[in-house]
Amino acid sequence: MDIFSSFRVSASALKAQTIRLNTISSNLANVDTTHTPEGGPYKKKSVYFQSKPLSFKDELDSNLQGSVQGVEVTKILEDKSPPRKVYDPSSPDADKDGYVAMPNISALKEMVDMMSATRSYEANVTAIQSEKRMVLKAIDLGS
Amino acid sequence: MTTIPGITNQSILPLSSSDSSDVSKAEKSFADYLSSTLDQVENTQKSSDTAVEKLSTGQAKNMHEVMLAVSEADISVRMLVQVRNKALDAYDKIMQMQI
Repeated sequence: MDIFSSFRVSASALKAQTIRLNTISSNLANVDTTHTPEGGPYKKKSVYFQSKPLSFKDELDSNLQGSVQGVEVTKILEDKSPPRKVYDPSSPDADKDGYVAMPNISALKEMVDMMSATRSYEANVTAIQSEKRMVLKAIDLGS
Repeated sequence: MTTIPGITNQSILPLSSSDSSDVSKAEKSFADYLSSTLDQVENTQKSSDTAVEKLSTGQAKNMHEVMLAVSEADISVRMLVQVRNKALDAYDKIMQMQI
């Protein structure tokens, strides 16, 4: 476990949170999208976080390493909830009963998720800054 | 009645045995460590340079990876400078020694 291990752990979290933010941006951009190439309204996407060991080489370095894990987004899943039905008979997308199938996205929830992603990112940046401060203090020991 | 064996000096090795040169070859000297550390520091600087180049040409996918590469290079250089300072201190101390 070298001094840059925690850098790599935090960096993996930064990357994961960036992907999460990208997904949320996609959801917010498509909050009113009623047509997709697959047909039907846009479906909310959510990220799937999975912990991962740093690397095979690090695994061999020490048995402590197994408990220090980074994170990665292994897949982006579609939300299973049904589309939101909005009564709008004048819309060209309306079915025979006058309902339009809208994406199953709540803009409010997406905003909250977005704040959560930003805060997580900031927390990991702070962790990196802490680690850097510690290493620089250790170097100060020499002088 | 058993006799007490005489004291022999077989356990004492001669000062310049033929094996000692092999042992010193197997052990790495400070200079070897310093040069391998120099290589590692150079590598971190190279990867930092590549990361910055990718950022400025728009190929970098993640901003944080660039910043981390730069930080790693920075810390490595600081560490190396401290080691160099210590080595120079030791050299100075020896040079000032009164004989």
